[in-house]
Amino acid sequence: MSSPLVKGEPFLVTLSALATLLICFIVVPIAALFLMVDPSTMAEVFSGNPMLASQARSAFIVTFKASLLSTAILLVLGVPLAYILARYDFPGKSVVESLVDVPLMIPHIVAGVMILMAFGRGGIIASLTGAAPKIEDTFWGVVIAMAFVSIPLAVDTVKVAFQSIDPMLEYVARTLGASRFRAFTTVTLPLALKGVIAGAILAWARGLSEVGAILVVAYYPKTVNVLILEWLNVYGLRYAIALAVPFVLLTLALFTALRILQGMVSRK
Amino acid sequence: MIVIEDLEVRLGDFRLLIGGLEVMDGEYLMVLGPSGVGKTVLLHTLAGLMKPCRGRILVDGEDVTNTPPEKRGFALIPQNYALFPNMSVYDNIAYGLRARGVSEDDVRRTVTELADILEIKHLLGRKPNQLSGGEQQRVAIARALAIKPRILLLDEPLANLDPRLRSKAREFLKGLHQELDFTALHVTHNIADAVYLGERIAYMEEGRLVAVLRPEEFLVSKYAKPYIDDLMPVFRSFHS
Repeated sequence: MSSPLVKGEPFLVTLSALATLLICFIVVPIAALFLMVDPSTMAEVFSGNPMLASQARSAFIVTFKASLLSTAILLVLGVPLAYILARYDFPGKSVVESLVDVPLMIPHIVAGVMILMAFGRGGIIASLTGAAPKIEDTFWGVVIAMAFVSIPLAVDTVKVAFQSIDPMLEYVARTLGASRFRAFTTVTLPLALKGVIAGAILAWARGLSEVGAILVVAYYPKTVNVLILEWLNVYGLRYAIALAVPFVLLTLALFTALRILQGMVSRK
Repeated sequence: MIVIEDLEVRLGDFRLLIGGLEVMDGEYLMVLGPSGVGKTVLLHTLAGLMKPCRGRILVDGEDVTNTPPEKRGFALIPQNYALFPNMSVYDNIAYGLRARGVSEDDVRRTVTELADILEIKHLLGRKPNQLSGGEQQRVAIARALAIKPRILLLDEPLANLDPRLRSKAREFLKGLHQELDFTALHVTHNIADAVYLGERIAYMEEGRLVAVLRPEEFLVSKYAKPYIDDLMPVFRSFHS
């Protein structure tokens, strides 16, 4: 439980000063981005120039669709894995836990290469099965790249949520006549919901911000990040900023709304 | 009647051995012993949460040793009561009935009836974190009794209560058992709980069941001596 800050206490003053430095470290670049924006370029990008506007619109659609889809996939596959890791001991558990964290440790360009080598047309899966769906330069390539780099954030956050719930609650539910599934869905999962939402938010945020792995796996269809990079190279900083500002604004608004929702769930 | 036959449970280096134990229908059996002798392991094995490596658990002659907890009908009340924090008191008590597919009318009737008997009717709309220790205990008992269990398994349910509440809760449990006549196996390390509540006392030492005695027999047995020796210096200091 958080307690209110007491004014004037030296220890808290020091903490607050250091904390403020870090907040500035985040706020100043955001403010700089907004201050640098050129309204006429922005107008050109979103309405004046049909080609740029169409590119921007489709990049937004691809980015949000792919990141939501990758988050949904991660929830379906990640919640069971997080539950198993939180509740059971088995041989090789630490190896599985380390594997989950691999995408966090490797450069994302390398992650993209790994995805291509595994699931691409010349990859292991294709050579073993004789055929594999095309992921290079496809929407699903973007989804796979986003999901891969987001695995640790989704699984680890949800795992911690499950670990914080007393397993005795589930045992008691079972002695009262609930199947394992019913005990999980009526007791454990609702109690872990705040953590599951936090995991989803982090995974979605990671997916939205991904660029390295996407550049390798699927340059097309272009996501917002890829398009920002392209416009930076082709048209210069002004155009990159004009595209970045609405993207940052939209994601900030969405994540703030989700954090409020998360707070409402935890107060219930 | 519940019969435990030649039960062996292993948990790392620890081994629980129960040669034989019978719990009669309607009996309130206390399992007494110091901490770490395997009382909770016995309870969890009976509830179906741990698998024995040898032996059988029989209910009226039916072997339930490998029956999953949800099909066994043994209701467990753990030391911390484990009330579901995401549900109201009403929903906690109704949980087992709903899991069994009982109609909402029957659920309401059973919950209200039990809430009346346990004097918790005014708490039905509250969440577990709004209850005192004694209230939580009553809700946990109501939740367990709602499913009409074959046996109620109580794991030190009085341990978290202060001494005044503890003796009141003890009296309450005794009265409730006399009124509802349920079968109970209650684990404790407290001799006062065991003697006051138990119709028989099963005494455990180092993972083994060593004696099953009536309370009056237990009090004069060698097994009661360490407990009484522990209290004597206190009494003597009062006298002096």
